[in-house]
Amino acid sequence: MMKNKFATYLCAAVLLVFFGTFLFLPLYTVLAEGLDKDILLEVFRNRLYMEGLWNAFAISVVTTFFVFLIALPLAVLYDRYEFPGKNLCPILMMTPMILPPFVGALGFQQLLGHYGVLNSLLVSMGLDRIDFLGGEGKFWSICAMEALHLYPILYLNLITSLANIDPTLNDAAKNLGISPWKRFFRITLPLLRPGIFAGGSIVLIWSFTELGTPLMFGVTNVTPVQIFNGINELESNPTAYSLVIIMLAVSALMYLTGKVLLGSGAGTNAVKGMTGSRSIDLTGWKKFLPGAAFFAFTFIAALPHLTLILTAGSESWYQTILPAKYSWMHFQEALSNDLVVPSIHRSLEYSILATVIACTIGLATAWLVQRSKMRGAAAFDLMAMLPLMIPGLVIAVGFLGMSIKYEWAKLIFNPINNPLLLLATAYAIRRVPYVLRAAASGLEQTPEDLEHAARNAGCTAFGAFRKITVPLIAANLVVGALFAFSFSMLEVSDSLILAQKSTFYPITKAIYELSTYLGNGPYIASAFGVWAMFFLASTLIAAGILLGRKLGSLFRL
Amino acid sequence: MAKLEILNISKTYQASEGKVLNDISLTVNDGEMAFLLGPSGCGKSTLLRILAGLISADSGKILLNGKDITHLPPEKRNMPMVFQNYALWPHMDVYENIAFGLKMTDMTRKEIDTRVRETLELVRMEDFIHRKVPSLSGGQQQRIALARALALDPAVLLLDEPLSNLDAKLRDTMRFEIRRICNERHITAVYVTHDRKEALSMADQVAVLEKGNLSQSGSPVSVYNHPANRFCASFLGDVNFLDAVFQNNEGNYAIFHTDSGIWRVLPGDYITGEHYTLAFRPESAKCDTAPDALNTFTSTIERSSFLGESSFRTVLLKGCKDAIYINEYAAAERNDGDQLVFAVPAERISILERA
Repeated sequence: MMKNKFATYLCAAVLLVFFGTFLFLPLYTVLAEGLDKDILLEVFRNRLYMEGLWNAFAISVVTTFFVFLIALPLAVLYDRYEFPGKNLCPILMMTPMILPPFVGALGFQQLLGHYGVLNSLLVSMGLDRIDFLGGEGKFWSICAMEALHLYPILYLNLITSLANIDPTLNDAAKNLGISPWKRFFRITLPLLRPGIFAGGSIVLIWSFTELGTPLMFGVTNVTPVQIFNGINELESNPTAYSLVIIMLAVSALMYLTGKVLLGSGAGTNAVKGMTGSRSIDLTGWKKFLPGAAFFAFTFIAALPHLTLILTAGSESWYQTILPAKYSWMHFQEALSNDLVVPSIHRSLEYSILATVIACTIGLATAWLVQRSKMRGAAAFDLMAMLPLMIPGLVIAVGFLGMSIKYEWAKLIFNPINNPLLLLATAYAIRRVPYVLRAAASGLEQTPEDLEHAARNAGCTAFGAFRKITVPLIAANLVVGALFAFSFSMLEVSDSLILAQKSTFYPITKAIYELSTYLGNGPYIASAFGVWAMFFLASTLIAAGILLGRKLGSLFRL
Repeated sequence: MAKLEILNISKTYQASEGKVLNDISLTVNDGEMAFLLGPSGCGKSTLLRILAGLISADSGKILLNGKDITHLPPEKRNMPMVFQNYALWPHMDVYENIAFGLKMTDMTRKEIDTRVRETLELVRMEDFIHRKVPSLSGGQQQRIALARALALDPAVLLLDEPLSNLDAKLRDTMRFEIRRICNERHITAVYVTHDRKEALSMADQVAVLEKGNLSQSGSPVSVYNHPANRFCASFLGDVNFLDAVFQNNEGNYAIFHTDSGIWRVLPGDYITGEHYTLAFRPESAKCDTAPDALNTFTSTIERSSFLGESSFRTVLLKGCKDAIYINEYAAAERNDGDQLVFAVPAERISILERA
């Protein structure tokens, strides 16, 4: 028993050191460098920065609104009805996530550009071109692009919450003669608050701090892009730090506002798992409506991806509805480009190491929280989930600041010499929540008595965990690892900010660089994006099959 | 040979909630089956887990054959446990479940194989050797859980409400099976249950726990017939309590005065004029006795419930405001309102401190 206590405290100490160094120290660095009254005041007085902040805020609010418009009806349809093709929905809903929105933006531009698909269609119909991406068009395009990428996060949270609502509560209201709409607004919606809050807050913060999409649309007057543009002079001008602090403060404010408005779900837990959800069998033509809605939204969400595939597979695509000529040329060019192959190699290196780190830390945290019975263990859960709430941009700038400020960090984290550890840990810290939730849900479902029985049978505590628990939660760990790996492979903020030398570029930074090349740059970037998309798609499908409905728990704060 | 001594064990989880176990001492002799009996939350499972080494006690000692094992990790105690939910490993088949613990020893593969087969035979599950755990019924899983523990040739076998998930009929069969195996193997066992029937029918020793305290321990017969207090009396079965005042010892009997009249019980050190509680079980009352028999009373039947093998009657005694319960076996047909004469033998009456 003494040994167990020692193992518990050792584990807690390692986690404290890890989170202290790679989560709190970067945050502290940002705060220490940017928390200067004069600089902050100057930022607030600067019209450009205020405009950037307002735009970022407006993007996040509009995006979240769009996300609700898409996700809520789909989640309710999925929960309430049985319909043909329902089994395909989990996979369909993951489709928009197979590509970072900033890569999708390439396809979006092809779709809505002045000489793009839609305008070509208008011209072929004898109508005038519309400048979809001019003026405010870019703002709406960014919001649409992000919403089409992020709605699965809210959807997954909502179906998890809907599954937890006891259908007899609705039956009771029905029995009292309350109309369907009233039941939805008075019974279902209030009970959905935990899911709305969990998914909504992630979407809100994610879209508020999204760097890649506005960057790809060439929008510079949003805070994340202003921070990105400021990092080159970080050593002499700490304005980027101050902007990061403001973003962090606004993100925290958004989270807290959500918490106050929607609560933590108090009073909704009582409904958990009393009876299973009851779906209604639709008949006649009506039974095809929910499936059609799912396919329609998935098609719209996949349009940028489809356009990307067509762009990559076309010789050139200009002023026509569909490419005039198809070719493998760009796919081949992508694979022979100086940036591409090394970047795949680098991304694999960074992501494998990040996955190993995230799995180790996630599993250790899950064990500490679920099994150790150490006082205050719940705080470790909160600490490990924190990166889900803290924007990637903040952590990325914090890591960069750390590598500039501290000698020891310069030694091992220097992005100029080799950013392997820097990027791997930056990727890992933001992927720990996925592994933690996956492992914790596995541990919750695995009775502790199974380990106790092994210990009674003569097995050591570590042996029992290794031989009994780990095999039983293997599927959960695989899913967590898949998420950690695939999201690391296509990570944007950290990659754009921390990878500074072209020989060390990961995939996403290489795509960004290629897209800025004149000539066939966007085509090669598209082809590379397609390779990346297929890669991420296969891992997400595997995860979806393994986890099913529980997939939503990975995106829950 | 395994004698287990539990000495002054105390445990607190949270100071605000008070002690879960308070100074518990109990000796389980070699080959004896001791039952920890009590309602939910009385601390019986905590005590069992302390014995298994899964929880550490705040104070006190556990001795196994005189050797202090209080701080020994679970894997070194050889005290396997049969869990309430069986805790069979679902990713292993029956054979692997039973062989798991044996692989931790220095037994050869052949010896392990022999032991697994022998144990399965003992629990009459030899045909299920390579079955997957999830495909087994509750009763079968229970047998495998028992086999897994027995295969280790345990110093002490620990059982945590192992029959609570089974239906009534299977529970009866398994009671007999567990008792048979423990007898055959001369196994010392500690068995946790809240089911008094289970405890009384199987135990060599019953230890009744109440709110973390050991209320009483002894043989099932002594604990049932001579409960130490009102809690033990009522937890072990239906019981009648009567307020009584000790008058004096007279001949072979102690005389107690109650609202319903004089009761004669076996003599003891009672204080004259002091209030006590008389306790007797409903089935201790003999009906239709001769009017001059000891402790004979005439009552009026208020209500009867037919239970098949007996009739459970609520009767009123003249002068007594509380009802009395009588369980009449091979009962004659009687109606509510009829007179019922009954007698309670002196040796079946317990005298308890007044609550």
